[in-house]
Amino acid sequence: MSETPSGMSPEDVVDDARPASIAPDVPSDAAVLAEREGMNITSRSFGRQTWDRFRRHRLALIAAIVLALLATAFIVGPWLSPYGFSERDVLNMRSGPTAEHPFGTDTIGRDLMVRTFLGGRFSLRIALIVALLTTFIGTVIGAIGGYFGGTVDTIVNQTINLFLIIPALVVLLVVGVRFAASPNSIAFLLAVLLWPTIARVVRGLFLQYKEQEFVLAAKAAGARAPRIMFRHILPNTFGPIVVNATLLIGVAIILESTLSFLGVGVQPPTPTLGNLIEQAKGQLDSKPSAVLIPGGFIVAITLCVNFLGDGLRDALDPTSRKG
Amino acid sequence: MFAYVVRRILSTIPLLLVGTFIVFTLTAISGDPLARLATADVDEAAYERIIELYNLDQPIPVRYVNWMSSAIQGDMGPAPSQGSQPTFNIVMDRAGNTARLAIPAFFFIAITAITLGVYSAVKQYSKLDYFVTGFSFLGISLPTFVFGLLLQVVFGLWFFDWFGVRPFYVLGMRTVASHGWLDMVRSHVLPIVTLWLVITASESRFQRAAMLEVINSDYIRTARAKGLPRRKVILKHGLRNALIPLVTIWAIDLGLLLGGSVVTETIFAWPGLGRLLLDGIFQQDLNLTMGVIMVISLLVVVFNLLADLLYGVLDPRIRYE
Repeated sequence: MSETPSGMSPEDVVDDARPASIAPDVPSDAAVLAEREGMNITSRSFGRQTWDRFRRHRLALIAAIVLALLATAFIVGPWLSPYGFSERDVLNMRSGPTAEHPFGTDTIGRDLMVRTFLGGRFSLRIALIVALLTTFIGTVIGAIGGYFGGTVDTIVNQTINLFLIIPALVVLLVVGVRFAASPNSIAFLLAVLLWPTIARVVRGLFLQYKEQEFVLAAKAAGARAPRIMFRHILPNTFGPIVVNATLLIGVAIILESTLSFLGVGVQPPTPTLGNLIEQAKGQLDSKPSAVLIPGGFIVAITLCVNFLGDGLRDALDPTSRKG
Repeated sequence: MFAYVVRRILSTIPLLLVGTFIVFTLTAISGDPLARLATADVDEAAYERIIELYNLDQPIPVRYVNWMSSAIQGDMGPAPSQGSQPTFNIVMDRAGNTARLAIPAFFFIAITAITLGVYSAVKQYSKLDYFVTGFSFLGISLPTFVFGLLLQVVFGLWFFDWFGVRPFYVLGMRTVASHGWLDMVRSHVLPIVTLWLVITASESRFQRAAMLEVINSDYIRTARAKGLPRRKVILKHGLRNALIPLVTIWAIDLGLLLGGSVVTETIFAWPGLGRLLLDGIFQQDLNLTMGVIMVISLLVVVFNLLADLLYGVLDPRIRYE
């Protein structure tokens, strides 16, 4: 970090990383005043500003840490556990939480801690695939509709509306009952149904940005449509897209676990947090821990993801004055 | 205005047709009603009957047109998984059971979402505001089925005995006619609470944002500056405008609620539309599945339309040409 030249007002420094090139060497009153008062004005890159703002969002920071810990537990946990994924402890069948089996065992004596961690691993993996795939599809389609306008946009917009009136859960149930047995197929199915939410956001942003001068300048310089769309406009839409992608992880976890709970999602033996609950719900009366523990993990993940998304929304907003 | 309404309705119809056609195709290719017969010991005639019932020898678009043209007239065919009763009657019957949950849930949601949203906006960054924000984050992050199961554990296992009385039923529907008023209320409470939490969480957050935007606007400052009491300004000038976006959300949510919640109805063994849909899918009953989906989509579309129109009625700044 370097000392700023005197040509920047403190507001410029906070709000925008590029002011020096716009107004070079014109000392503003505010900067002069700030210097006289002995204030230290530093310039920070966009990434640095984002991080500084994010850090102040204490809940989001905690959420990120908890999420990282959970992911680590899901990945490392099964590997460290003394029990195998389908190993049966016949002497301790249907047990509640004990010292040997902190999460208890299922009806045929398999350790639920290993199974829950592996379930979490699959649930998280599905959610990440859904978030990436949905964001990719939604961004491309939304960008095309918003940038080109006209007939193309009408088609895009009507398709988005169509998907929004079809209740997603209904389609997932109908199709899931036959086709969604594996983690990858259900991730694909969820992405196919969820892209309109992102596409609508991206389309709106593209509609707004394509009228601005920097796009006109790029056109005048001879840039073609794909270059303008993805090199010039897309970076401006980075914030909302990242926030939506983060929140999608939570949506995907909830949808996937709901489907698995209803018995049409990922099928056993592949464990997910949802189908572990589905398998345990029959013994709700005798052993509620087998339902409440995986349920607690689902809530923990979605809660963290939502706090993280909220923190990123503030941090990635270049007009935010916090921090 | 009238022209706009007509145009909106006309533009919705093709969307509904395309939507139901897609769902019909998906339903038709993902369930095979003949597969069920393969395990049973039946003769050739049974196969013939099923093929004739669903027109299985026709291409899917033809089947869709057939189904749709009779469905519009209220004839959705018989439902084999329900003793071949008319699908239409079953769907209407179950829609009534769903409405028993949806309508009270809707009123509780409306009241609490406004109260929480307005209070937390007016007292922004107070303890209460943080509490409401925490509540809505929790509600948004809690999957319906986890919350429903939690209620069942709490009231079916931990607190099922209050001074010798069971406070709430955790399974099944009881009506006034069959069990009396008290049991009716006791069986309705938990499913309604389940529906309430999830929707109230998102609505109160929405209402908070809408209210904050209004409170910080110029005309509120003007009203305060000319000496009106704060309370009056917030309730008369502020709330009126902040309600406009919420009313449209209400319309959409009411449509969703009336369409039935598959998860809530499954957990609480409630004989509503959501359960019926799941039964239809699992038993590969095409008529039943399509019948329920048709009603759900219709509700969603009609209430979305209503939301749009209400917006125009409530906000005089919006004009339709």
